Amino acid sequence: MTDSGRDRRRFTAAVLGAAAAPEPTPVHHRVARGVVVDSTAYMLCLATPNGEERFLYERATTFWRGGEVLPTELRPGDDAVVLCSHDGRLVAERVWAQTARATGVIVEREGDSLRVDPGHGRPRLTVVLPYRSSGRISVRHPRLEPGYLFDAVGTWRDGEVRAVRPVTTQPPYPLRSTPHRPPVRQHSTTVTGIATWYDPAWGRSSHLDPRAVVNGAAYPALDPVGHEGRCDRRTSCLPLPLLSTGASLNLRNDCTRDTAVVPVVGCAAADSWLCDLCPACGSQSAGRLASLTMTSFVALGGRLEAGCFNATMTVAEQEG
Amino acid sequence: MFPEVLEAARELQLPLLAALLLLGAAAKASPRSAGTGAAVLLPERLRGPATLATCLAEAALAVALLTATGLPGEAARVATALMFAVSVVLLLAARRRDPEAGCGCFGGLSRAPIGWRTLTRAALLAVAAAATVGSPLSGWEVASAPDPLHGAVLGVQLIVLALLSPELREVAARAATREPCALREVSERRTSRRLRGSEVWRTNAKVMIRSEPEETWRHGCWRFLRYDGMRHGRRVDVVYAVRIGGPRRTGVRAALVDRESGTVVATFGAVTTLDLQGPPRRLPGPRQAARRDEAAGRGGARPGTLAEEPPGESGRALPDGVRASGPGV
Repeated sequence: MTDSGRDRRRFTAAVLGAAAAPEPTPVHHRVARGVVVDSTAYMLCLATPNGEERFLYERATTFWRGGEVLPTELRPGDDAVVLCSHDGRLVAERVWAQTARATGVIVEREGDSLRVDPGHGRPRLTVVLPYRSSGRISVRHPRLEPGYLFDAVGTWRDGEVRAVRPVTTQPPYPLRSTPHRPPVRQHSTTVTGIATWYDPAWGRSSHLDPRAVVNGAAYPALDPVGHEGRCDRRTSCLPLPLLSTGASLNLRNDCTRDTAVVPVVGCAAADSWLCDLCPACGSQSAGRLASLTMTSFVALGGRLEAGCFNATMTVAEQEG
Repeated sequence: MFPEVLEAARELQLPLLAALLLLGAAAKASPRSAGTGAAVLLPERLRGPATLATCLAEAALAVALLTATGLPGEAARVATALMFAVSVVLLLAARRRDPEAGCGCFGGLSRAPIGWRTLTRAALLAVAAAATVGSPLSGWEVASAPDPLHGAVLGVQLIVLALLSPELREVAARAATREPCALREVSERRTSRRLRGSEVWRTNAKVMIRSEPEETWRHGCWRFLRYDGMRHGRRVDVVYAVRIGGPRRTGVRAALVDRESGTVVATFGAVTTLDLQGPPRRLPGPRQAARRDEAAGRGGARPGTLAEEPPGESGRALPDGVRASGPGV
């Protein structure tokens, strides 16, 4: 987290009281991210920002690399996220390798490949739809044309995202025809919706890039005043309070009942465009609350390949 | 009497139509109304340009109705009548295509599905425009020389138009509903105006070094502005919190935070949550108090030191964590 965010929380607490800006929960010790150095049938060796770490497997350990794979199918150089078992940071419970996600509006289509604009000043992504998964994707994304939204999870290959499974149902209208939210009369500090994830490091050199393991969330209702950089957001379909980077969100995973305080680290423009449900357990409310970073999402009990979980968000605000 | 009323009604249509066309053009010019109304009949990429073209055409016709006489004036009147007549046909077609589509006559305000009221209004306006053909006066001449008969006819016509306009309900709903302060987007200028008009700002004016904020951020109902400041020779951050909406007088709070130690030196603007020690008594006037302090040898804080009083005594109760680190200044 940047110093600016910490300062903002300190100043907010000085004026509105400590409850208005709770300190973020540190990154969970059960989550590690790095680059695969070696993977054998019984052990995974990962280069992480803390140095080289080794993880053993249990019988129940599962591996995902565009689908369930064997541990020996992980390759050196793969970007991997490891969720350790409850006992400690020694045994891996689940390992995701080369996981990528493309969320945004389609700007170009050429045969099997799409250009997707995530909308917050981040670079555009090239998404390849392999024949194997194209049927599955076209069921939930029937219109792969410029102007329509796209959200799928896949794997990185040569700087491109190979889409594997869709994680939302595409709205039947293009982005610019999205209906506006009717005016809200009542506002509550607790909002239910879904939480998603994004990768702030784009799957590149996750053992060196400090952004790869940052704890935080991108927020779809950033106040435009005082925000540096582009945030191409619309009014979200949820009544989300306007915040700036540095504010803290109290998030609860409705499926696993894990809670965490995460700082807002960026703009989630694409999340303000979509108003979808998450086919998981818990409450069923439409609309996206926040995009967690990969590690924060896994730490809160999310499954990267599922792409979302139902969540409840509280933004403390002490009127005093 | 009757022919006079008819003549007055005929003359009145020119400024009235011009005003309606100008209102419609202004509403269509807002970016939110692109592609509404009869534009649903067009392909997606042509909807925005079509709305813009309609907006420009309406504005041009309105100006022509107000100013032009003679042949150009007649042409504008015929064109207006034709436009309203064509719009009836287009609205019928749009309703068949998409029964939920709004008419888009007044941009984003016309979101109600096209009904008989909208169609009747467009038809009546076509008739009104056709009636003006042949009138020797221009719209501006009629509007600048009103008489009581014009006023009476205008009143009746406005009532008829109001009954035929579904947009009025939308306008009323928008005026009645205000979004909660946490969701409302407010410009920086407005916040700054509220801040600069407040007592808290004037109190801290001497502490601040620059007049522009170093940093601005938002936390729900509050917008925060941080200024650089200097207090008794030490650098401080002057943090203002400006409430979005709510009562004006209690809308601004401030905290002075020592930059080196991070301690809250003083807070302003919040209502105290401390229990008062003993019954409240009348405070002496500022001059009287200063004279009394001087006599007792209790001047203000010396330069180079910070105020001795622990933070929060004169303001609201500070959170425990902040108070624990308070007296370390």
